[in-house]
Amino acid sequence: MEFIKNFYEGFVFVYGCTMLFWYALLAMLSLRGIIRYQRKNSYVDHNIMVQSPLAPGISVIAPAYNEGVTIISNVRSLLTLNYPVFEVIIVNDGSTDDTLEKLINEFQLTEVVFAYNERIQSQPVKRVFKSVNTAYDKLVVIDKVNGKSKADASNAGINAAAYAYFLCTDVDSIIEKDTLLRMIKPFMDEENKKIKEVGEPCPECGYVHVVEDSIRVIATGATLRLANSCEVDEGVITRVRPPRHWLPRFQEMEYIRAYVLGKMGWSLINCVPNVSGGLGLFDKEIAIKAGGYDSKSFAEDMDIVTRMCTYMIDNKLKYAVRYIPTSQCWTEGPPNLKVFSRQRTRWGRGLAEIMTIHRKVIFNPRYKRLGLVVLPYNLFFEFLAPIIEFTGILYYIYLIITNHINWPFATILLLFVYLYSVMITTLAIWWDQMTYRYYKTWKEVMGLALMAFLEPFVYHPLIVFFALRGYYFFIVGKKHTWGNMQRQGFGQKKTTAA
Amino acid sequence: MNVLPVFFTSVLYNLRYAPLIIQIACVFIFIAVTCTVIAYLSILIGRYKGHRREKKLARLHPLIDQLLLENVLMNEALIQEDAEEIPLAADAFHQPVFRKRWARQALIDRLIHYRNNVSGIMGEQLRNLYIQLELDKESLKKMKSRKWDKKVQAMAELTSMNMSIADVTILPLTNSRNRELRAAARHAYIKLSKNEPFKFFDLATEPLLLWDQVELFRIISTTEKIAIPNFAQWITYSSNKSIISFCLKLVVHYNQISAVPAVEKLLDTRDHYLRADAINCLGKMQIAEVEDKLIRMYNSQPLNCQIEILKLMGRVSSGKHVDFLRQEFLHSTDFELRKNAAKSLIKNQWAAKNLINELVDTATAENKRILKHCMNPLIKF
Repeated sequence: MEFIKNFYEGFVFVYGCTMLFWYALLAMLSLRGIIRYQRKNSYVDHNIMVQSPLAPGISVIAPAYNEGVTIISNVRSLLTLNYPVFEVIIVNDGSTDDTLEKLINEFQLTEVVFAYNERIQSQPVKRVFKSVNTAYDKLVVIDKVNGKSKADASNAGINAAAYAYFLCTDVDSIIEKDTLLRMIKPFMDEENKKIKEVGEPCPECGYVHVVEDSIRVIATGATLRLANSCEVDEGVITRVRPPRHWLPRFQEMEYIRAYVLGKMGWSLINCVPNVSGGLGLFDKEIAIKAGGYDSKSFAEDMDIVTRMCTYMIDNKLKYAVRYIPTSQCWTEGPPNLKVFSRQRTRWGRGLAEIMTIHRKVIFNPRYKRLGLVVLPYNLFFEFLAPIIEFTGILYYIYLIITNHINWPFATILLLFVYLYSVMITTLAIWWDQMTYRYYKTWKEVMGLALMAFLEPFVYHPLIVFFALRGYYFFIVGKKHTWGNMQRQGFGQKKTTAA
Repeated sequence: MNVLPVFFTSVLYNLRYAPLIIQIACVFIFIAVTCTVIAYLSILIGRYKGHRREKKLARLHPLIDQLLLENVLMNEALIQEDAEEIPLAADAFHQPVFRKRWARQALIDRLIHYRNNVSGIMGEQLRNLYIQLELDKESLKKMKSRKWDKKVQAMAELTSMNMSIADVTILPLTNSRNRELRAAARHAYIKLSKNEPFKFFDLATEPLLLWDQVELFRIISTTEKIAIPNFAQWITYSSNKSIISFCLKLVVHYNQISAVPAVEKLLDTRDHYLRADAINCLGKMQIAEVEDKLIRMYNSQPLNCQIEILKLMGRVSSGKHVDFLRQEFLHSTDFELRKNAAKSLIKNQWAAKNLINELVDTATAENKRILKHCMNPLIKF
């Protein structure tokens, strides 16, 4: 018994120290990444791309399921993105409301015979529509059988995409107008495609066989933020505010920490674990070769990035997944505990799934950073964290009951962990403020930063609980439906009556 | 009342003899508190500074605008034909506020902003003002800075004001290891070099990134009075593949027929990416003479080159190789090849109308769908 106790205490100590070390390292890396990005982009005029005939084409894919209330304004918003060569593919995933009818009427759509190439499996596509109005010639609407997941609809969109890159987003998110201009840049900042000759000339074709020898950016992500209390006018954010309600406000803080501090840090060492499903720009060729989205996965965004990376490594190709620190996408976060619990339980389940599906990659030196850094980090500090925290609380209770606790020392250790977590969150908000001063007043920033003091008592226990629930559902194989989040709608700018 | 002080005193007393972990934890508590306080202060100070800067600029910009309007933009004397001889009222700008560095920088930025939005004699007058106020010296000072971002800023300013920079200063920077500096130097060199704006193509060993190509392309295609050379010289002799690839795009843009033989030679290169770029270039220039050679090569090519060959058949639309396109459309196993063959067949419709009708009637369901897709004017790709 004593041995088990000592082992557990030692393990938790090493685990905790490593976790804190990683957070500190990520904070430093992200700071470096942000400063570098700022300096590099301070003289860059992204608008030069708008007129350029050299701009690569991008297909914007937005699945829609029962979005009848907001679909028209959202599609209009997507059609006005600032980029020279793009198409918008709306995938109507078997909506049971009037989503499709509204699209047909509003955009003067007509059914066309479309050469749909099912390179990735998805539920059958019933019809494809194009507009007879040239003002909407960028729009393609796909009507398909409901696949019960966003991934399935996205796969159908990828199959229909005409361009070499595709941007995956949610139709109800608000995307900044310059999103495509900013997100394509990391793809174009790597060296042009370079080859390396391998072996002697081939007796069949006469050429020396070649392999690609340049770093290929396979995906780019950008920061997502909550639009819950922002003012929106015609699909454009006109006033940024942290959410007023406590739950979305905690989420905003968490998003800033995850994107600005986490993913920017990982991006610097090319270890980005996933590109958010809300906004991600992908290399279509690699995404298709990796099998596209897994329509049965609960964490399809992390799954596709992991599979794309695995594909690249298996084929001995150099790759990079990049992140940019600017906020390009605004989404509505779960406004109440019920929806929030469903989302986080799904995320927990998805993470458990990823760890199981890709278990052969974890600690496999063949997969380099992916196998030795990205997935082990996610295994220990994302997947196991709720379990260790929960067992830690139980152990604490046991020590209290058996009167084996040294209160002064325990207080110091708790205080240390608490203040460290507050520090990390505050640094994330500082880094975010360095990127761009999104909030208008200092009170709004302070209001957000001070949530860090409450997080360990209010928000964090919820996260742990829902993650554990997700793991439990995964183990027992409970059926889980995606559920449809009832949108509250984005705040409109108040207009005073004349 | 005394519980807390007693508790902390006992903690401090015990700390001396506490285990190492506890002592380390205490150090980290101190670090965490300090960093948190610094973060809060930095956020507040940063916002305050930003707010002050915005306020100062909000006051200064109208002043600069007014001075520029009165003395340059709305100055009727300057619109005369011999305006270049009329002295500018630079004295109006000799105000105490412009002794401060930030204000002078704001003036430079504003001048650049106006110069980018006006042309002809007004643009020249803004340039003269920039020189008379000795703002060019500020930019040149930045050019000597050790910091790469200052150098980039200086080059952007000097380029916008069309000031010359010595080749010896700028040419080494066009091959810098720093991507941003390298790109800025290349842009500046193209724009400012009077004799040989493309000289750095000879010297460039570092790659020309796709983003840089976009920027260079814009500069080359929008700069007035730039002498466009024959890009064949780099297509033939450059060892830098990114330069060759960029030159192919320029050949298309300027429709340089004289460069076609050099592009044709690239069809034998071992780099299939470059080969595909060359075929793309020939297709966009509608060079019908290469069709036969490409058809001979077709079967030994990788997919990207095969697609470009099929596209070329459509762009050239000579009507000579409809049988080849039909063959590919009917028998290729790759969907993309069939789709591109169909597209090119449709573009050769003038010579293959009967064939297309026959294919629509007899093709498999999937091939028929591909054909109808390509025939529909609403679908572009």
